[in-house]
Amino acid sequence: MIDTEEIKSLIPQRFPFLMLDRVTELKEGEYIKAYKNVSINEEYFKGHFPEAPTFPGAFIAEAMAQAACVLLKKSIKDLAATKFYVTSVKIRFFRIVVPGDQLQIFIKTVKMTRLGGVFEVEASVDKTVVAKGDMTFACK
Amino acid sequence: MPKVDDLTLEKELREIIAKIVEIEPEKITQDASFVEDLGMDSMMALEILAAMEKKYKIQVPEEKLGQIKNLKEVIKLTKEYL
Repeated sequence: MIDTEEIKSLIPQRFPFLMLDRVTELKEGEYIKAYKNVSINEEYFKGHFPEAPTFPGAFIAEAMAQAACVLLKKSIKDLAATKFYVTSVKIRFFRIVVPGDQLQIFIKTVKMTRLGGVFEVEASVDKTVVAKGDMTFACK
Repeated sequence: MPKVDDLTLEKELREIIAKIVEIEPEKITQDASFVEDLGMDSMMALEILAAMEKKYKIQVPEEKLGQIKNLKEVIKLTKEYL
């Protein structure tokens, strides 16, 4: 298990943009499982949307990217890179995520290098897949 | 992985590259430079490498990324690991 303090030591994102609460499983070089608890207290629900609070799809993608960053940092120990930039995202969204949901993230490595990585990404709520796709990002 | 004949390999690799670079397969000639002629960047090269590995169930070392510069080189590289 990796808690928020250790997550913060691995990736540069901070409040209000840290999209992972906990890593539950990780196999270096292969996969990571993590989750984010979606709370009605989060500021952006005031605008997205006032009458129907919905966790933004872009934030689901961000949570996936952050989990992939943790996986990369834990897999390549001496990786000097501190910044990560998404270069390609192809994700299909199947259903909305709302306050009260626990967003489970599963990332599988397709290819991992010091330059960046290619990953298969998936998010689910209560074992139902809510988003799935492919993601590539570069390390700087 | 069973051996793939040269024509099929070329066709499949051209399709993989076209999908990643988002251009028509016909524009990917054997010698067209991925960077200069097709506008590819280094992360697209990584995606091509990953797609090659996945399609043919091969492992290509990171050091070979520099060889992903035109279709001819990609075919050569794939054959090396098949």
